[in-house]
Amino acid sequence: MSEEVMNGLKKDYLYSLILKNQRADGRDFEESRDIVIKTNIIEKAEGSASVKLGDTYLVAGIKIQPGTPFPDTPNKGVIITNLELIPMASPNFEAGPPGENAVELARVVDRGIRESHSIDLKGLCIVPGENVWLIFIDIHVIDDGGNLMDAACLAAIAALLDVTVPAKKYGIGEDFKLPIRDIPIAVTAVEIDGSIVIDPSIDEGRIAGAKLTVTSNIDGSISAMQKSGVGLFTPEQINYVADVAVRRSEELREKFLEL
Amino acid sequence: MDKPEKFIIDGIRLDGRKPDELRPMKIEVGVLNRADGSCYLEFGKNKVLAAVYGPREVHPRHNQKPTTAVVRFRYNMASFSVEERKRPGPDRRSIEVSKVSREAVEPMIFTEYFPKSAIDIFVEVLQADAGTRTAGINAASIALADASIPMRGLVSSCAVGKVDGELVLDLMKDEDNYGEADMPVAMTPDGEITLLQMDGNLTREELKKALEMATEGCKQIYKLQREALIGRYKKELEEHKEDVELVETITESEETSIESTTTVNIDESGGLDDE
Amino acid sequence: MNKRQIIIPGDVLSEDAGIAGDGTYVRDGKVYASLYGILSEHNKIKVVPLSGKYMPARGDIVIGIVKEVTFSNWIVDIGSPYDGLLHISEYPQRINSEDMSKHLKVGETILTQVKEFDPMMKVELTIRNRKLKTIRSGRIFELSPSKIPRLIGHGGSMISLIKKETNCSIIAGENGRVWIEGSDCNIDFAIDAITKIEQESHIPGLTNRLYDFFEGTKTQKNESDKEYEKESILDEILE
Repeated sequence: MSEEVMNGLKKDYLYSLILKNQRADGRDFEESRDIVIKTNIIEKAEGSASVKLGDTYLVAGIKIQPGTPFPDTPNKGVIITNLELIPMASPNFEAGPPGENAVELARVVDRGIRESHSIDLKGLCIVPGENVWLIFIDIHVIDDGGNLMDAACLAAIAALLDVTVPAKKYGIGEDFKLPIRDIPIAVTAVEIDGSIVIDPSIDEGRIAGAKLTVTSNIDGSISAMQKSGVGLFTPEQINYVADVAVRRSEELREKFLEL
Repeated sequence: MDKPEKFIIDGIRLDGRKPDELRPMKIEVGVLNRADGSCYLEFGKNKVLAAVYGPREVHPRHNQKPTTAVVRFRYNMASFSVEERKRPGPDRRSIEVSKVSREAVEPMIFTEYFPKSAIDIFVEVLQADAGTRTAGINAASIALADASIPMRGLVSSCAVGKVDGELVLDLMKDEDNYGEADMPVAMTPDGEITLLQMDGNLTREELKKALEMATEGCKQIYKLQREALIGRYKKELEEHKEDVELVETITESEETSIESTTTVNIDESGGLDDE
Repeated sequence: MNKRQIIIPGDVLSEDAGIAGDGTYVRDGKVYASLYGILSEHNKIKVVPLSGKYMPARGDIVIGIVKEVTFSNWIVDIGSPYDGLLHISEYPQRINSEDMSKHLKVGETILTQVKEFDPMMKVELTIRNRKLKTIRSGRIFELSPSKIPRLIGHGGSMISLIKKETNCSIIAGENGRVWIEGSDCNIDFAIDAITKIEQESHIPGLTNRLYDFFEGTKTQKNESDKEYEKESILDEILE
């Protein structure tokens, strides 16, 4: 993936804003961009959602089918998460198998859902050791406006909340809603010149040193974290981001009650 | 192994360690002939090799960066490194581990000294027993120094996890399999964080404490890394004792900084009798 | 007695930023080591690495191997992250572009000089100097570029000693490649001596140990001297 070269004047401008405690789009450091979530947008999928986070737009679709469980978890359903950075979304994305960025995004989304135990996987067993429900979460990034991580996590959980398991289609009893027990929400912050800003825009993401995603649960505990980018955080900064992330996730969770 | 009933009995873990105790670490520097820098490292039952090549030319050209060196990190697990044979080649896990490991060491490298070139880091896991990425980062950091790559300092890495509801340093395999949280961390000698991942469940209070435990663990590892690098030439210098008055490798100014960040034992008499 | 101190990247070396030399960096007014190596304190505080790649510098004499011939340049491997370019106009004679490979082929070794090393990392080479040329005899031995100063020694003392004791002509390129000419067994002898320097460069008393080394092998050398004379006559005829 070739990187676009960023205009030096623009960089200087963004840095100078940060020094003045300002952001290019007028947000506070702890403020995210507007979020619009729509569910049930793809009829053919068992669950689907689109998320618009500022300029970022992506779509998640969930397909469900019966299949063989993993040998080490014979009585549990299976989650498989995949994310595609398709070339239409950015001049920096290229066609081909998922690169490290796509793989990382998918795995962090997956971890948040898995580790929060939001899906009751035991409830997805059909015949132990033989047949369980496989849940495929596929996320397509349509427009890269920065902070794909938070948008992808929101899309995944929104689509999961939308899922009806198609049991009837496969002759395995009646259709049922996917049992969801928690709503993990990811909040990403970046470090720019010693300051921490939440929900980075694409330009902020590009000048940032390091990035930290914290996924938290309804009870305020943390289920996944990921630092990425060539940069550093102090332990104080990490604790600070965790606090903000938990607070912010509570506000975001309200969104799902509205759906 | 099935899930044990308890992981900590009377303050002692299944492998006999205390909750804040690291597994033993063995480090050898400069073990490969062809590589520009290398390191073999054992961390508990983990056995990893790290090799560094470069700075060297980048092919194809469009992979070059005009003002800095490109750092590439390949973490690979040998198929025989785990209980069940692993399919060879990169899987999604190793792609991610490679990425975060690169981002753990790259902040320390003066990449701006070598525009258009590449610094390649290869980590091969020969035996895995939880914590392979931390072992790989520790080894890579040493291999980079051995290759004479200019760096701000070494990074040190270890994980903190949670078993039986209690935070423990450096998970071994069973603790990792059945534990409630796993948080690998890498740090600079100043305690700044270059790698942080977490899965499982931690409260904010536990996170705070886990970071403190990781800081302590990384300090201990830093000391071992430092000893390994210095020890490598110390042995040769010792053989020629008649020619050389070996100075304790900690200068006065350094002493203050080391003391504040690590627990180096200053009165170790030149380290000559520690073999 | 010499003091030898092994340093690793990140070690604090001094509080005086003014004396920061090679292999160090300054942060918050303190001098830190950026390299793994030996501390050297003269006017400046430096860390001398024990290995590492050659970084070209203008005026350096280096030994290169032609790896490609293009329309107007020979591309030369100089053991650095950056290849050297020898432009057709830097060849001692005027030659045509199509004849470039006749004069200097892929795989040939040259004794060359860095004419320019620009910020774009372009390395321009020249052989337009009487002493510079294509190397067609002898052997090339490679060691870490950081050890070349030890091989040369104070005022050339070390390299002179080896030349004298082995009856070889030795030219050390700044890029760690050493050109040795002499009889086969004298070259072997010289390489043994250079290898000793490479392995023990960080241990003081090297010059004395090298004297001992030559002393211990004196008898073998006398034998080979005669052979060398014969061969050098042969070389002259062949040239």
